[in-house]
Formats: sequence, structure tokens, C-alpha cells
Amino acid sequence: MALLEVTGLRTQFFTRDGVVKAVDGVSFELEQGKTLAIVGESGSGKSVTALSLMRLIQEPQGRVVEGGVNLGGQDVLKMSDTAIRAMRGNRIAMIFQDPMTSLNPVFRVGYQIGEALRVHKGMNRKRAFDRAVEMLDLVGIPNAAHRAKDYPHQFSGGMRQRAMIAMALACDPDILIADEPTTALDVTIQAQILELMVELQQREGTAIIMITHDLGVVADMANDVMVMYGGKQVEYGVADDVFYRPLHPYTWGLLDSLPRHDISAKGELCPIKGQPPSLIDIPSGCAFHPRCPYAKEICRTTVPALVEIEPGHSSACHFSGDPAFRRDQVACSADMEAN
Amino acid sequence: MSKRRGSREQRAVSAGPLDVEGHPLDTQMPQPPMPPGAAELADRPSRTLWGDAWTRLKKNKLAIIGLAWVIVVVILTLSADLWVPRYFADPTSTEFGSLIKPTFPDHPFGTDRIGRDVFSRVVYGARVSLAVGILAVGISLVLGLILGALSGYYGGFIDTMVMRTADIFFAFPYMLFTIALLAVLGPSFQNVFIAIGILGWPSIARVFRSSILSVKENEYVDAARAMGASDWRIMVRHILPNAIAPITVYATMSVGGAILTEAALTFLGMGVQPPTPAWGAMLDDARSLILPAPWLTIFPGFAILTTVLAFVLMGDGLRDALDVKMKD
Amino acid sequence: MSELLRVENLVKHFAVDQGVVASHLGKKVHAVDGVSFSVNKGETLGLVGESGCGKSTTGRCIIRLLEPSAGSITFDGTDVRSLRGKALQSFRRDVQFIFQDPYASLNPRMTIGEIVSEPMVVHRIGTPATRRTRAKELLDVVGLNPEHINRYPHEFSGGQRQRIGIARALALNPRLLICDEPVSALDVSIQAQVINLLDELQDRFELTYVFIAHDLSVVRHISDRVAVMYLGKIVEVGGWLGLYDQPHHPYTQSLLSAVPVPDPDKQRSRERIILEGDVPSPIDPPTGCRFHTRCPIAQDICTATEPELREVADGHEAACHFAKPFPITAEAPAAVAGEGAVAG
Repeated sequence: MALLEVTGLRTQFFTRDGVVKAVDGVSFELEQGKTLAIVGESGSGKSVTALSLMRLIQEPQGRVVEGGVNLGGQDVLKMSDTAIRAMRGNRIAMIFQDPMTSLNPVFRVGYQIGEALRVHKGMNRKRAFDRAVEMLDLVGIPNAAHRAKDYPHQFSGGMRQRAMIAMALACDPDILIADEPTTALDVTIQAQILELMVELQQREGTAIIMITHDLGVVADMANDVMVMYGGKQVEYGVADDVFYRPLHPYTWGLLDSLPRHDISAKGELCPIKGQPPSLIDIPSGCAFHPRCPYAKEICRTTVPALVEIEPGHSSACHFSGDPAFRRDQVACSADMEAN
Repeated sequence: MSKRRGSREQRAVSAGPLDVEGHPLDTQMPQPPMPPGAAELADRPSRTLWGDAWTRLKKNKLAIIGLAWVIVVVILTLSADLWVPRYFADPTSTEFGSLIKPTFPDHPFGTDRIGRDVFSRVVYGARVSLAVGILAVGISLVLGLILGALSGYYGGFIDTMVMRTADIFFAFPYMLFTIALLAVLGPSFQNVFIAIGILGWPSIARVFRSSILSVKENEYVDAARAMGASDWRIMVRHILPNAIAPITVYATMSVGGAILTEAALTFLGMGVQPPTPAWGAMLDDARSLILPAPWLTIFPGFAILTTVLAFVLMGDGLRDALDVKMKD
Repeated sequence: MSELLRVENLVKHFAVDQGVVASHLGKKVHAVDGVSFSVNKGETLGLVGESGCGKSTTGRCIIRLLEPSAGSITFDGTDVRSLRGKALQSFRRDVQFIFQDPYASLNPRMTIGEIVSEPMVVHRIGTPATRRTRAKELLDVVGLNPEHINRYPHEFSGGQRQRIGIARALALNPRLLICDEPVSALDVSIQAQVINLLDELQDRFELTYVFIAHDLSVVRHISDRVAVMYLGKIVEVGGWLGLYDQPHHPYTQSLLSAVPVPDPDKQRSRERIILEGDVPSPIDPPTGCRFHTRCPIAQDICTATEPELREVADGHEAACHFAKPFPITAEAPAAVAGEGAVAG
């Protein structure tokens, strides 16, 4: 049985301008020691998915309206507040995008890392601090015993993100949710952090949910990939399948939009036309149809279901599975001329 | 040349595409990025930021109550000459038959110790209060905006001079400073608003300066500098319109503050002189009669309270209405 | 091809005047420390590096948004640093800037028509009516609906706003555009739209670009030549193909190996150089070669002597004592082994 099983998750926000369907029916599984990447552009609902798992959606503005989150036999969405607090930071931990603001500037780094241990494991201050030093050492901070007494402003961006990882892993969680953990960092630092995460995952067997917009990071880390668009899952499968045999036109578009530095020739960039939809006003039928070069009448009227096209690889497109429906580069320039 | 250029030339040969509205696009590039539902967007009237702010302000009940009260007070006092003397009494005329009487309906708020109609005096007193409030804040605004703008935009020596002067103003106890100034100028309606106005500039200058400093960081200011725009243009077109929101809030609230100061000064005899009806003077008059004739204190006191509160509520509402994250 | 822009020994130091850290008093941030390059007419020079390497400061010095501390900038034969009055205004017509943040670079109180025609107002070109026509034309050129001329910036998405910024930059028919991270705030699919647009405009209006970015793949895609910066210095410069296929400087090599590629197999098999530690502070840059503190192949000479940029291949220069054309940790691939002669 999978460590985490999410079924039909639906999260909505109720604003003055209308209901925002931030997450609209998302299902996935996560095995121990594996990495699932949730990919999407801004406003695709990927971060809200993670917050929903942690039950961190602010009520009453937002609410998980439907779905199940099964964590080792328990439904997270039905847990009591006490049980949830015991779970957060303990069984599921989270690291955020901005290492500059996720640490509290008035407490010493070691004290903050120890906080979860004091809360969840009932350690005293001294033992929690010692463990924090161990954790800092584990995430590769030199001279950890000394640096644990520093305040966050004395740490560089990369070191803060390391400290955040140390904090998240302090309680030895089953699942680590990383929300764009390297977006704010330089590439050389990003490489350090990604390597650290893989290394720790192999050692501790932690499952990782990696939320990112960077397909390079996905290729680097992920076992499974879930592509989101307009709050919906559009493609879900094993990383190699999604990269080498993508099924959904949105995934095609994403892959064709990327400039590559690893291929000798300069390829033509083939952007997806138009803008991502507003989650308040999601287009009818398939949310992607206004931008999709292959869209037909049915795409405007009917919401495509997520269908397993080949074993372990599903897509939410009316035409996926039709052998004649292929991603072809011609669509890029042909589309521009036709419209 | 690279392969990229080759394929670009191919595309250049293709027939000119049309955009959504059917305009020929003579550029050879991907479809213009119409947002989904671009048609609705095109039909919708364009919203300005102040328009948006007004929409939000309308939803704030307290702010609307404040605004309504201010409008009522303004209408009542401006039209006072038309109806108050005719139906009630002239604010300065005395009626010896009715001293200190809570009579109704001739004198709805009663009469004071020399037989003047309290209602009429409260209505006319609003003239003094509103005029002082607005004129004083006007003076503070002119001084504060100019000095704050110089200070925030140019920085350096000018900034130091202006801000240290402001600090000196802040260092004096406000009320004592006003009283001292009025002792020099002599107590009169005109000098009251001049004094309050002069002493109000440092706060305005400070708020405006910090607001300019944050607006100046925006790249559109750099963009204007890079295109060669003059300092004047950058200030007037780019910085002022974006820095003015906090000032609007502050100035609105300051009107309430100025009304309060005027009332206090007049109460102390340093402000508007009798027989001009003013709320502060009425309270001063009624001091010894607070228990036997409570209406003499209640009505002017209530007038001060509600009017000041109205401006503060309005300011608060404006703050919420104008405080939008531009990115949303 | 003739030269349009030449930057020589550009230096920009900022005084450290904030904070109370006594050891920093009177010190300077060496943001740009002796940068030289040239840009030919019609080409795109990419300026790439991590945050704090001085690439944006360089761009801002070129258009005189910042006054350089030393060095010379020559645009089309004229010395930019000495320009005053009318001459400066005419330089400002020829050189335009595209900003990174599509939210902060447009004045929220102006309509996009006003924004796009502002350069014409500032330079007193045309009448209100002709400016309006021109503004519509420009919006059309960048792929926006000209009917939207009366809308405010907050009614547009990030990618559309960046197009408005581009339209504004084109208003005066500039010859050189400095693009400072123009696509890094945009989503992947929108980023590709804007890159393609910049490409199209370059061909159509014979523009020259200085393209500043931290994303190596984007820079490679758009540039003809690329300069890599580290701590205020150019460490390597060359044609895009040579620089990316055969980087000679260990910093360029590690940068390239650090960027994950969207290809799981390749990503698994790739040899990666993971640099230790952080970029040193530009207040106290390291002696000798600035990269020696993190360089996997540093020797004593690197601490002592600063390497000059020297030619390692045709039109390809690197500033390393041990520059060689294949990555420092990988075995030399057979194909390029023969060219290893330049190394050392």
C-alpha cells in the first residue's frame, strides 16, 4: 500500500469575485522513498494541493470541499485538530520557496530547528539543541555546533535553505513537501541543495513531493510526475514516460517552450499561445482548450477525464490514446499561420 | 548564421496572420497573448485605480457612515443661513425670556446662559470647525508635500535639513507650541488655522517622504529616467500619483485632528473669539453648568465627537480601500 | 559587422554606508571591477552570471542609470560618460532598457497608451494624435490588441505587461536595447513567447541587444556571443556554440553542469561539478583569481595572480590560468581530446 493516497481532492477559495477552484479533483499516490514532482505554471494549483495535504488552507476563505487524503490508513481530512498538529512537522514536513522569510529572525537557528523536536518528541531544550546541531551537520553546514547559535541573518541564502531542510527532517518525517525549494537560489547553490535532498532521501527513506515549475529539476529528482493546469491534473505518470512519451498537449507545449543548453543546435522555441486561465473563470470543457493548437469542438463542451492510456501513465485529453494524435513540431509554425 | 535564423526566414514568407479582432498582424510571431475570454475583457469598461478604491470603499459600512455624516454636516452648515434663523434663532441673538432652558420645539437643544439657541450655535459652530479643519490641513499639505517631496526625491543635504527641522517641531509639546504661537499671533479664527496648519506639516512631510522613497524604488521610475524624462516630469507623472494614497488617508484623519485641536484651543480661550459660535467656546461657556444644564455640554460635545469620528472612519476606510497589492 | 558598443575597464563601486558593522565602514562593494566587452551592430551579447555578479549594474552603467566609477563606454563612436544635455538626450533615444519586473516597471496610474507614448512626449516627438497612432502601432507590433490602449497595467498578465515594456522601449526606434532579465519573472510558456518576440523584433528593426540573465539556457538561445560574469569580472566570453559546447573556464563549466536539463536519462548520466560554498562577498573579493575559493582545480598561482582574459579559441577568451576545453571532472571526451592542447 502506498504511503500517501490522495483521491479526488478539491479545494476552493471563496472570494468577493467568485469561487476560486484552486484544486479541482486531484488524485495521486506516493510510495516510501520516492519522489513525486508536481509541475505547473503559476496559478495551476500546485502549491494549494500541498497546503491541502497539510490541512493548511485558511478557513473560512478557503476549504477542502471534497476528497480523501489517506496517510498510512488515516484520513488526514477527517483528523481532529490535535491529531493534525501532531502530524504536521512530524509525519509530513514542508519547506518553502523563500529561505529568507521562512526562518524567524529573532530566534537562533539551532533553537528553531529544535522546536519541532520539543513539540513532537517531548525533548528538553538541551537535547533538542544537540539534535539540531546533528541535523545541521547532516545537511552540510560546516562547524554546526557553532553555527547553530547564529541568527538567520548570519546565514547565506543557500545555508538558510539547508537549515530549513534540517528543520523539516528533524523529526524524521515520512513525507517531505518541498514547494519550489530552489527557485530563489542561484544555479550552483540549487545544485548543492538538490544533491543534498537526494542524498538525504536515500539515507532516510523519506518520500518527497517536489513542487516546481522547472522541468530540469523534475528530470533531476522525480520518479513520478504530475502535471497540473488550471487546478486540474492533466498528466500523471512515471517521469521517463512523461518526458519521453508525453501524452497531453499541454505537456508537449511545456517541453517545446524550453530553451535547452544541452543540445548543440539551437531549436526553435514553440511557445504555448495565450495566457494561463484565471482560476475564477476557468474555460468550459477542457481548461486548456483556448490555448491548445489541437482543440476541437468537444474540448469546448466536455471536461476530459483523467484516463490511464498506458499502464501507470494517464492523461486528461479527449484525444490521448488515439494513435493518430501525435505531438509534432509542425503544429508550432502551422498554428501561427492559421490563426 | 544559426539554424534559428533560417527557420525564422521561412516564417517571414507566410501570409500575414490576423489577430482576434481581425486586424492584420504584419509581424511574424505567435498569436498575440489574448487572455482567455479576451472578448469580455474588451467589452468591460476600463477600471482606474481610484475607481477600484471607490468600489472597495463603498463596501466598508463604517467609512460610508463617516462619509455620510460629513456630507450631512457640510450640507446643514452651508445651508444654515436659509433655515436656521427663520425656524429657530440667530446663533448670536439672545432671548432673555428663556435663559438656560431645555425648551422644545422652539429651541430643540435648549438655550444657554444668555438665552442663545444652542441648536443654532451647534449648526453654525460646524462652520468654524470644518473651515479650520480643512484650511489647517490645506496649509499642512502645501508645506508638507513640498518639503516632503524635496526631501524624499533629492535626499542628501536637503533631506537632512528638512527632516531635522521636522524633528525639532516634533520635539516641542504640540499643544504648548500652538498656544505659544497663538500668543504671538493673537487669538483669532484666521490665526487658529494658520497655527494648526504650520504645526501640521512635519507629519505630512514625513509620511510623504517615506512614501516617495518606496515609490522611487520602482522600476518605472528608472524607466522614466532612462528615457531622459526631467526631474519635474518624473516627480509629477510617476512619483506623486503613486505616493499620494497614504497622504490622502493621513490628511483625511488630520482634518478630524485639526477640528479637535481647534476646539481645545477655543476652549482655552486661545482660539475663535466670541461671539462667533464655536464648539470649543460653547463647552467653555457651559463648564460651570455641566450638572444643572447638561444639554449645554452634551450637544456641542456630541458634535465634536461625531465629526472627528466621521473623519477618522473615512480615513480608515480609505486606507483599506487604497491598500491594494498592485500585483493582484 | 561594425562595432556599436564598447565597454572598457568598467568599474562601479558602491560605498557601504548602511549598517553599523565597524569593519565595513569606508569599504566598497566592488559590484563591477574592470569589465570590457564590445557589441557589434545587429548582434546579441548575452551577459550571464549568478546574483551579485554585477551583470545588472553593468547594464545600468551603460545607459547611465548609474554613474560608473571608472572606465569608458563608447556608443557608436561617442564617449557616453561625457554626454550632457542635448547629446545625452539623443543617446537616450538610441539606447533603451527593458526591465525585469513586469509589475514594477509600468506606472500603475498611467494607461498603457500613456506609458507607450511617454518616450515620445519626453523627446517632444509628434502631436498627441500622431503619438496615439504610433502607440497603437507599437502595441500591435508586440502582439497586443491596440484597442486596449486605454487600459491600466493591472488589467494585464505578466507576459502582456512585459510586451508593454517592450513596446515602450521601441517607441523611439532605438538601436541598442539592454534587456535586464526580461523573462525571468515569467512562466515557462510565456517566457518562450517573449523570447520569440525579441527575436522577431531584432530581425525586423535591426536591433542590437545586450541580454542580461541568470538562466543559461535562455541566454544561449537568444545570444550570438555570451559573456560569463563572476564577482564583478568577466571570466569567459565567446560565441554561443563554442562557449556552451567547450567552456574553458572552470566556473562556466560548473555553471553549465549545475543547470538540470529536462531529460531524465541525460540528467542521470551527466557528470556534475557541484561547487562548494557560497559566492564570496563583493566587499572583500578574494585575491588573485576571484573564483579560487570555490574552484576545484585552484593552485597557488590562482591565489596570487589574477588571470587575464586570453584567447583560447577563435573569438573565445577565458580568464583562467588553467583554461581547458573540457569539463574539469569529466574524462576528456575523445572528440575534443585533440583540442586539449590549449589547456594549461
